Amino acid sequence: MRPVSQSAPAGRAGPGFPKVGWIGLSLLGTFVLLGAAGPVLARFPPRALSGGSVEPPSFEHLVGTNQLGQDLASQLLFGARSSLLVASITAVGTLLLGALVGVPAGWLGGKTDFVLMRAVDVVLAVPRLPLLIILGAYLGRDLVTIALVMSVVFWPPTARILRTEVRSLRQRLHLKAAQSFGGGAGHALRRHVLPELRLVIVATLVIAASRVVLFEAGLAFLGLGDPSRTSWGSTMRDAQMSRGLFYTRIWTWWMLPPAVAVTLVLLGFTFVGMALEDGVNPRLARHRPRRSPARLAVSTTAAQ
Amino acid sequence: MVAGYVVTVWIVVTVVFGLPRALPGDPITASIQDASAVSPELRTMMERRYGLDRPLIEQYGSYLAGLARGDLGESISLRTPVATALKAHLPWTLLLVGTSLALSSLASFIAGVNAAWRRGSFDDRFSVVTMTGLHAIPDYALSIILVIGLAVTVPLFPLGGGAEPFTDDAPLVSRAVDLGYHLVLPAAALSLSLMATKFLILRSAMVSVLGSEYMVAARAKGLSERRLKYRHAGRNALGPFLNLVGIQAGAAVGAAIFIEAVFDYPGMTSLLLPAIGQLDFPLIDGCFLVLALLVLTANLVVDLVQSRIDPRTAG
Repeated sequence: MRPVSQSAPAGRAGPGFPKVGWIGLSLLGTFVLLGAAGPVLARFPPRALSGGSVEPPSFEHLVGTNQLGQDLASQLLFGARSSLLVASITAVGTLLLGALVGVPAGWLGGKTDFVLMRAVDVVLAVPRLPLLIILGAYLGRDLVTIALVMSVVFWPPTARILRTEVRSLRQRLHLKAAQSFGGGAGHALRRHVLPELRLVIVATLVIAASRVVLFEAGLAFLGLGDPSRTSWGSTMRDAQMSRGLFYTRIWTWWMLPPAVAVTLVLLGFTFVGMALEDGVNPRLARHRPRRSPARLAVSTTAAQ
Repeated sequence: MVAGYVVTVWIVVTVVFGLPRALPGDPITASIQDASAVSPELRTMMERRYGLDRPLIEQYGSYLAGLARGDLGESISLRTPVATALKAHLPWTLLLVGTSLALSSLASFIAGVNAAWRRGSFDDRFSVVTMTGLHAIPDYALSIILVIGLAVTVPLFPLGGGAEPFTDDAPLVSRAVDLGYHLVLPAAALSLSLMATKFLILRSAMVSVLGSEYMVAARAKGLSERRLKYRHAGRNALGPFLNLVGIQAGAAVGAAIFIEAVFDYPGMTSLLLPAIGQLDFPLIDGCFLVLALLVLTANLVVDLVQSRIDPRTAG
C-alpha cells in the first residue's frame, strides 16, 4: 500500500498496544472462553429436545428454543466451538501453506519467485466461495475437511505477505553478514528471519481467522457445513428454513443471536487487526503519526 | 495481460476436469447414493455412456472440445443439458451483481470523495465508523437485518423471490416494475456489503491526492470547487478505486450466493445448492465454471479499461 499522509479523526498515538486492540481481544477472549467452557455451561445437549416448540427466552432456556424444542443457548455455545475450532485449524494450515510458497519465493527470488507468485495469482483470481463450495462438494464436509479446504483456498495472501517480508529482510546487512560468516540458508531463516516475522505472522493469522469464521458460518448457513455439528450458521439456517419465521417474534431469539455472534467475533478480529497494524508496519506509523480507522480498515481488507 | 488470463482460464478448466478423476473412488460411485446396488454390467454401461472407459487424455480432449461448443454435459438431477439450466438462472445473478456493482461504485465514489474532501468533519468520521462497522457484518446477517427491517417490521418490500409468480403474460412494464420491486432488498444488501471496502479505499486515495501540489495549482487557477473535487482529485483517485472494483467481482459473486440464499432469489444459488444436495456433479462443475469465468472476465475487462485510463499500469 502507498503511504498516505492525512489528518485523521481523533485517535491515540504512541507506542504500545492501542485500546481498540484490547477491546478486540476481550471480545474474542469472551467467545473463546464461552466456546471452551461450552459443554460445562450448556444446560442441555444442543440437539436434545429439551423444551416446547419455539419457547421465548426464559430462566430454563436463556435464549429460548427452536421449532423442535432444542435449547438455543446451548446451540450458540457449541456454535462458538465449531467456529473457533475451524478458525484455529485453518489459521495453522494457511500459515504452513503460505510459508511453504512465500518463504522460498522471497528468499530464492528469480525463476522460483516468478513461478510461485503466478500460482498465487491464479488461486487469487478464482472466486473464493464458489471454489470452497466445489472443493467441499468433492472432498466432503466434516469439520476437519472444511478447515483443510479453507486452508487451500485462503493461503495466497499469506504467501504474498511473507514473500515481501522475506525478500526485504534478505537485503538487510546483518543477514548478509551472517551469510558471509558461512551461515547457511537454514540458519539464516531460523535465527534471523523467523524472529522478525513474528508480528507479521500474527497479523496475517488474525485476518485469515476472521475470514474463516465468516465462511464457516456462511457455509453452514447454505447447508454445506458439517451436518454432525452445531454451528451459528446451522442455527441461522434452521431459522431461515422454518415457515412463518417472520410472522411472529420468533426471529428475535432464533435468528438474531447467531447473526450478532458472528458479527461480534468479526468485529473483534477487525479491532485486533487494527491494533497490530502499526506494529507490523512501523514505517507507515512514522509517516502517519495519528491513527485513522479508515486506513486501518483498508489495509486489513486489502491484505485479503 | 490477456495471456495471463488465458492461462488462468485453462488451469481452472483443467482443475474442474481433474477434480472428480483425481479423487479416490470414481464419479459413478460418487453420483449414486447406493453404489453396491450397481451391477458390473450397469457400471460398464455407465462408464461407456460418460466416456470414462477411454484414456484420460482422450477424455480431456473431448471435454475441452465440448466446452468450446458450449456443451457442459448433462445434469443428472434435472435431466437437461447443464447449459440450459445455467441459461435460466445466470441472468438473475447477473442482474443482481451488475446492479449492485454499479450502484455501490457510484455511491461509494461520491461518498468517498466527499468524506475525504471534508476530512475530520463529523460527516467524515461518522461515515468512516459506519463503513468500518458495516464491513464487519456478514452478508447473510446484513440481508437478514434488511428483511427484518424493511420486509417484516415495515413491510415495504417482498420477503424474497425474484418476481411475482404467474405473471408471464402481464404487460412488459408491470413485469419490469415487479422485477425492480423484488430486486430492491437483495441489491441493497449486496451494494452495502460492497460499498464499505470501496469507500474506505477511495477515501484514503483521495486524501493522498488532496495533499499533492497540482491540487494547490488547480485551486490557484481559480477552478470551481466541484471541478476540483471530481475532475482533478476524484479522477486521480480513480486508479486504485477501479482496481478494487475488479478485485471485488469475486467477492460480489460470493456475497451474491449468500444473499440469494436469504432472499430465495432465483439466481445461481437456487441451482447450485440443490445440485450439491443431489450430488449432481456435472451441474456443480457447470455452475463453478460459469461463476469463475464471470469473475475472471470482469477482472480482465477492468485491467484493460485501467490500462486505457492510466497507461502506466499497462504491461
